[in-house]
Amino acid sequence: MARVPTGLRNFAILLLIWEIAGRMDLVASGALPGFSEILIRLWEDRADYPRHIWATLYASGVGFLIGNAIALIAGVAFAMSPTLLRIFRGVNIAVFALPPIAIAPILVLTLSDMAPRIVLAALAVYFVTMTATVIGISQSDNRASDLVKAYGGSRWRILWLVQLRSALPTITTGFQIAAPNAVLGAILAEFGGGGRWGLGTYLLGSLGRGEPDRLWGIGLIATAIAGLGYLFFALISRRLLGATRAVTLNTATPLGDAVSASPFKRVLMLMGIVSLPFLLWWAFIVLTGVPAMIAKTPFGVIDYLLFAKTAPVAQEKLLQALSETLPITFAGMAAGIGFAFLLAISTRLFPNAIRAFMPVALVTQTMPLVALTPLLVLIFGRGTSLTLWVTISVTFFPAFVTLAQGIALVPRSAQDLPRAYGASAWQEMRIVTIPASLPYLFAATRLTVPRALLGVMIAEWLATGRGLGNLLNQSRGYLDFGMIWTVAFVSVLLSVVLYQLVVAIERKVLRRLGMQTAE
Amino acid sequence: MPTPDGISLSGVYKTFEGRGKTVEALRDVALKCPSASFTAVIGPSGCGKSTALRIALGLETADAGEVLINGEAPIVAAKSGKTGVAFQDSALLPWRSVRRNVEVPLEVIGLSRKSHAAQVQAMIELVGLKGFENSLPGELSGGMRQRVAIARALVTEPTVLFMDEPFGALDQILRRQMNVELQRVWQKTGSTALLVTHGIDEAIFLADRVAVMHANPGRIVEIIDVPFARPRHPDLFSDPAFHALTDRVASVLHG
Repeated sequence: MARVPTGLRNFAILLLIWEIAGRMDLVASGALPGFSEILIRLWEDRADYPRHIWATLYASGVGFLIGNAIALIAGVAFAMSPTLLRIFRGVNIAVFALPPIAIAPILVLTLSDMAPRIVLAALAVYFVTMTATVIGISQSDNRASDLVKAYGGSRWRILWLVQLRSALPTITTGFQIAAPNAVLGAILAEFGGGGRWGLGTYLLGSLGRGEPDRLWGIGLIATAIAGLGYLFFALISRRLLGATRAVTLNTATPLGDAVSASPFKRVLMLMGIVSLPFLLWWAFIVLTGVPAMIAKTPFGVIDYLLFAKTAPVAQEKLLQALSETLPITFAGMAAGIGFAFLLAISTRLFPNAIRAFMPVALVTQTMPLVALTPLLVLIFGRGTSLTLWVTISVTFFPAFVTLAQGIALVPRSAQDLPRAYGASAWQEMRIVTIPASLPYLFAATRLTVPRALLGVMIAEWLATGRGLGNLLNQSRGYLDFGMIWTVAFVSVLLSVVLYQLVVAIERKVLRRLGMQTAE
Repeated sequence: MPTPDGISLSGVYKTFEGRGKTVEALRDVALKCPSASFTAVIGPSGCGKSTALRIALGLETADAGEVLINGEAPIVAAKSGKTGVAFQDSALLPWRSVRRNVEVPLEVIGLSRKSHAAQVQAMIELVGLKGFENSLPGELSGGMRQRVAIARALVTEPTVLFMDEPFGALDQILRRQMNVELQRVWQKTGSTALLVTHGIDEAIFLADRVAVMHANPGRIVEIIDVPFARPRHPDLFSDPAFHALTDRVASVLHG
C-alpha cells in the first residue's frame, strides 16, 4: 500500500505551507515564523537549551517513575479489593479531574526545589497508569486464573502468573499515554512558580519579549520530548508484544461503582469516599510541616471563606472570578466537542478526508497542548478569543479521537441495513451513525471536562488577566495564602462536580436508550 | 401486488484487491430464482456467498455481469421497497424499540410510519412478538431478536427476500424452530427468497433448490433440487430421504 508515502507527502505539504505562511507573515502579522526561521533560531539559542531541557526532563522523569510506581501498587491493590477501589473513588476522581495549574502554587508553597514539579508530573501520570492496571488485571482471562487456582495456587500466585502478565499490554499502553502527561505536568509546574530552568520557565520568560521564533522553538522542543516519550514506550510495547496497541485508552471511565449494599453501609461508604481526599490533604500539610499561616487545612479554607474578617471580600472576588471562568469554559468545551462531533459523524460522508486527518489528531494526543498556550497568545492576543481557542484546542482533539474510534466500532451490518434499502448518506447518518455515537459523545465529554477547565485557567493565568486563573496568579503576588488554597480547592471541586454531573446524565440517558456506557 | 419475477444473477465476477494479493471472490456466478421460489446458497467460509448477496442487494458492485431484481437494478428495487433483507446477528439498532426497529425500512424508503402502523403491528404479530412492541433489543433473547429482524425484512411487503445467515448465531434447537417459523412466514408472503447459509439441513429444509459454492475462486458448482412437499414438518429433519439429500449436498460441498 502507498500509506507511508502519502503521509510523508502530506507532511511535506504541511511544512511547505507553514514555511510560506511564516516567511510572508500571513498569520497574525508574523506570530507564526517560517519553519526554517524557527530552526535557525533554535541553532542560535543552542547554548540555552541543555539546562532548560535537563530541568524539564529530570522533573518529568522522576515524576514519571514515582507516579507510575504508586499507580502500579494502587492499581494492583484496587484490582484485588473492590472495596478499596470504592473508598478511593473520591481521591481517584479528584486526581483525574484536578487542573494541575491550580495546585501548582500550593506545591510551590509547601515543597521546595524540584519537588513541586516532580509531584505534578507524578500526579499527571498516576491516574492513567492506575486505571490501565485495574482494567488490565480485571480483564484477564478468568479461566486461566481458575486453572492456577485449581492446582492450589494462591491469590498472589494467580496475580503474578496470570493477571499481571495479561495486564501487561494495557499497562504499557498506560505508560505510553502517561509519558507525555509527565512532561505536561512538569511544564505546568514550571509555569506555576519559581525556578530558573525548565522549558516552561523559558517559555514564560520569552513570552514578554515578543520573539515568536524563539517561542516556537521551545514549543517544538517540548513537543518533541513528549512525543519521544510516547514513542519510546510505543516501541517497547511493540517489541514486547509484537503488536500495535490502540493509541488511546479512555481513562475517564468511572471505576468502582457502588454495588448493592444496605443503605447504612452505602451512606458510610459515601462518607468515606468524600472525606478521604480531605484527609489526605490534611495529612499532606501535617507531613510537610509547613506553618499554618502558609498552609491551609480544609478547616483553614472554610474559615478563610466563611468566618474570617476578610471573608466577604474573598467571597466577592471568588464569585467574580467564577462568573468569568465558567461561561467561557462551557462555551469552549461545547465548541470543541461540537466540532469534533460534526467532523466524526461525517466520517461516512468524506471517508478520505477524515482518514487523512486521523493521524494528525492522533499525533496531537501526544502533544502537551495546554503548555503551548504562549504560542497561541502570539496569534490570538490576550483577549477572550485566546481563552476560547485554547479551550477548543485542548478539547477538540481528544473528543474527535474518542468519537471517530467509537463510530468505527458501529457494526457493519447496522450500517448496511439502511443502505440495503437505498438510504442516502444523510438518512444513514440520522438513523444509525448519530444515535450510535451518543455513548462516545458522553465519553468524550467526560474526558474533556477537566481539560477544558485547565485550558481556561492557563489562558487566564498567562494572558487574559481574568477569572480563576488570574485570581490564583494575583494571590501569589499578594501572598494571599488563604485565596491560593481556596482557588485551588474550588477549581478541583468544580472539575469533580462537573465530571460527576456528566457521569450522572450519561447514566440516565443511556439507560433510557438501552445503551451501554462506552469504554 | 405486481407480479414478482424473482432474482437473476448472470455472469457475475468480483475480485478484491488485498494487501499485495488479489482474491477472486466470484467467478462467472449465474443464478436464477423464479418468482415465489426459495433458493439457498451454501458453501464454506470465504466462498463468496455473502459477496454474491451483497451484490444482489446493491451494497457492492460487480466487476462484470448483470443482476436483476424483478427485472430492475438492485438499487431501484431496494428504493421502491421491493426487497427485504435480514443480516446475520440481527443487526438491530439497540436504542430503538422492537416497533421502531421494524419501522426502519419504511423510514428509509420514505413511507409514513403512521399509515403503516397496522402493517408494522401485523409483522410483529406474524413473527410471534405481540406484547414486545416496546421492548429494547437488549431485553430480548437471541431468537426473539432474529424474529424482529425477519419482521423488519417483511415490513415493506417485499417481493424479494434476502437473508444472510439469519440464524447463524443461534443454537441448533432454536435454529430448527426458527426454520419452521420462517417457512410459515415466507409461505404467507409468497415472496422470492434467497438464503445464504452454511447449515446443510437448514438449506434443505427451507429451500426448493440448493446452490452449492466452492471457494478460490468463488463459484457455483452445482444446483440441487429439493423435492419435499410443503408445508414441511419438523419431522422431516429425521426422515431418511432428508438424510440422503443431506449426504448428497455434503459430498458436493466437500468434493
